[in-house]
Formats: sequence, C-alpha cells, structure tokens
Amino acid sequence: MSTHYHEWEKAPSKDAVRQLCADSFPSGAPESWRLAESTAGTLSVSAIEAKELIAALHTLSHHILFHNLTAPEQILVLFPKSFHPSLKNLITKIMLEHSPPWRNEALSNQISLPHLVEMDWRVDMKTASDSVSRMAVPTCLVHMKVEDSSCLRGSGALSSVTVELSKETLDTMLDGLGRIRDQLSVVAGK
Amino acid sequence: MLQLQFTKDTLPDSVINDFQNLNKFNEQQFTSLTEILFNFLLEPKEADRFLHQLSEFAGENGMSAGPLRNLMKSLLLLPHGSLKKNLTEDQVKEDLLTLGVSEDKADHFSQQWSLHYPVLSRLAVGQTLMVNQLVDMEWKFGVTVGTSELQKVGNTFLQLKLVIRKGNSTENVYMELTLPQFYNFLHEMERAKASMDCFS
Repeated sequence: MSTHYHEWEKAPSKDAVRQLCADSFPSGAPESWRLAESTAGTLSVSAIEAKELIAALHTLSHHILFHNLTAPEQILVLFPKSFHPSLKNLITKIMLEHSPPWRNEALSNQISLPHLVEMDWRVDMKTASDSVSRMAVPTCLVHMKVEDSSCLRGSGALSSVTVELSKETLDTMLDGLGRIRDQLSVVAGK
Repeated sequence: MLQLQFTKDTLPDSVINDFQNLNKFNEQQFTSLTEILFNFLLEPKEADRFLHQLSEFAGENGMSAGPLRNLMKSLLLLPHGSLKKNLTEDQVKEDLLTLGVSEDKADHFSQQWSLHYPVLSRLAVGQTLMVNQLVDMEWKFGVTVGTSELQKVGNTFLQLKLVIRKGNSTENVYMELTLPQFYNFLHEMERAKASMDCFS
C-alpha cells in the first residue's frame, strides 16, 4: 500500500475514495483494464499504477473480510507507519461500512449445491385409470424450482422439477423431515 | 351374444368353451385351480411360479399342461375385467352363470373374488400411472465452518437428494436449503398432508 501513497494524494474527493474501494472489491476487479483506465483518469496516474492500486485495495478488503476484522484498530495496524493519517482513517471507515454487505455477498455466493428457489404443491384426486375405471385416490404433486448448477450464480437460470407423491410417500417424507427438525432443535439447544 | 358385465367385447368361442370346461373339474380340483389363480393375481410378478403350479396340477390330475394353460388364460380375463369395472361378488357370479359355469363353482369363485378384492384393488391402484414418482429421499445437514472468502462462518445448511422415477430409470436431484427454507418446506408438506387427509 505504501508505494501507492502518492497516487492517493491525487484523489479528488472522499466520494472518489469510497467509490474506488467499492469498485475494487469484486473478484474480477484486479484484472479489469476498464476499471484501471477509469481510475487512472480520476487520479491522474498511469493505467499501470491504477491497476496496482486496485489490486492492493482488493487484497486489503478481502483480508479484512476473511479475518472478520471489525475494530478500527485491527485495520489501522495494517497500514505502513508513514501512511497519511486522515486517509488511513477514511479508508478504514469505508472498509468497515462495507463489511456487512460484503460479508452477506460472500455468504450468498459461496459454493453449494443448487439452491431451492421456489416450491409449490397441489393435491389431486385420481378418479380413473386404465387399470381401474373408478377410484378415488388422492395424490400430491410438488413442483420445485432449483438454481441451475451449470450456470453462474445469480444469472437467474432455473431448472424445474415436478414430483408425484402417494399418500404413503408423503407420510414417509414428513417422518424424515420431522426427524431433521428434531435434530436441528437438539443442535440449536446446545 | 352373451351379456357380460366384466367385458364389452365379444368373447371368442374358444374362451367360452374354456369356461364351460371348468364344469368338468370336481370340487377339490376346482378349489385348487381357483387358489392357484388367485395366488397369481395377488403376486403378478410370480409368473414362473404360476406356470409351475399349473404343470404340477396337470401332472397330478392326468391332463396335459398346454390346454390347462390356455384355460387359465381365458379364466384370467374374468378377474382382470371385474377389477377394472369394480364388479361386486354378485355381478361376478352372474357373469359366470351366464358363461355356463355351474352354480356351486360360480359361488365359490365369486366368494374368493370378494375375499381378495380389497388387496387386488389396492394392487391395481398401485399400478396406476404416476408421473415422476418420488422413490427415495436422502438428506444430510451440517454447518459451514469457513470458506475461501470468510475464515469463520457457522451457517447451517440442509442438503436433499431426491430420487425420481422417470420411465424405467431413476434420476437424482440434489439441492440445498437454508434453515428458513427448510422450515417453510416442512410447513408446506404438512399442509399438503392435511389436504390429502381430508379425502381419505
């Protein structure tokens, strides 16, 4: 960070600093030439220097996030001693402000199995079939929308699955779900 | 033209003959044959056992297995059709009498029909078409301890694997639910069950 001190001196405003911290957080930021060029324009430095600055900010914000640094003192010690004090305070303040939404974003983007997005059900009554011409058998249809695992998270691609359950199957499933609930309350109670 | 309740089709003469040939069996033989027939109806996958029992019967009673098998094939039309049409004991007996089967044999057969009907109809319902039937559900839940972005986490997750029958093969569907989603899922399934229970 210390090598980029002179670039910071040229920052036109607090808002510019704030914007730069936010822009350098996403995972693609250090590689983005577009961001480097616009930053170079804002700070009146070369694109290469801007890129290095963005990378440094990116490393800093992710370090803070990973170790869950929540106190200003924890972040201030990361800066070199010769760093401009009010700039140091400003950056620390901005990082702390952004930590909660960044943390939520990291949590929702973490790898996982496809997420269940939506679920609905319907109970039908079967009244006839080729094997029995008159009957009254209830059956349950459950429709689930699941994130398509082959697509990028948040791209909105959903795959759909509809499942039919007989009464016995539904009872068995509820049995299983009930056991999960019981185990969850044991874990929560500890 | 025979007026039958178990079928609207015109039965071929050979089939009608087969029914009338039942009268040639004595009481004990007819009882055994009826038992073999209903054993097969109750466990339709046991085709080999059915044929084996028929061969045994043929041997014990001094007849050839081939004609006996054909006779049973014809006889099977009656319970299959009756099941489809939800026929009562009396209706089955009527049809047997119409086909020319003697009174006491018709009585015996229709009584056996009535006896086994609950199980047979449940079997038939079980064979009814189901689309994407849920065959199995496996689950596990755990706690996320850390990620590459966050050293310490501590979120509970639930993973479900649903095994779905698609035609002749099964397909696995994997998904993950957060705790609130799990509780919502459980709540909805309980509502579905309550709805189903209204109808039973």
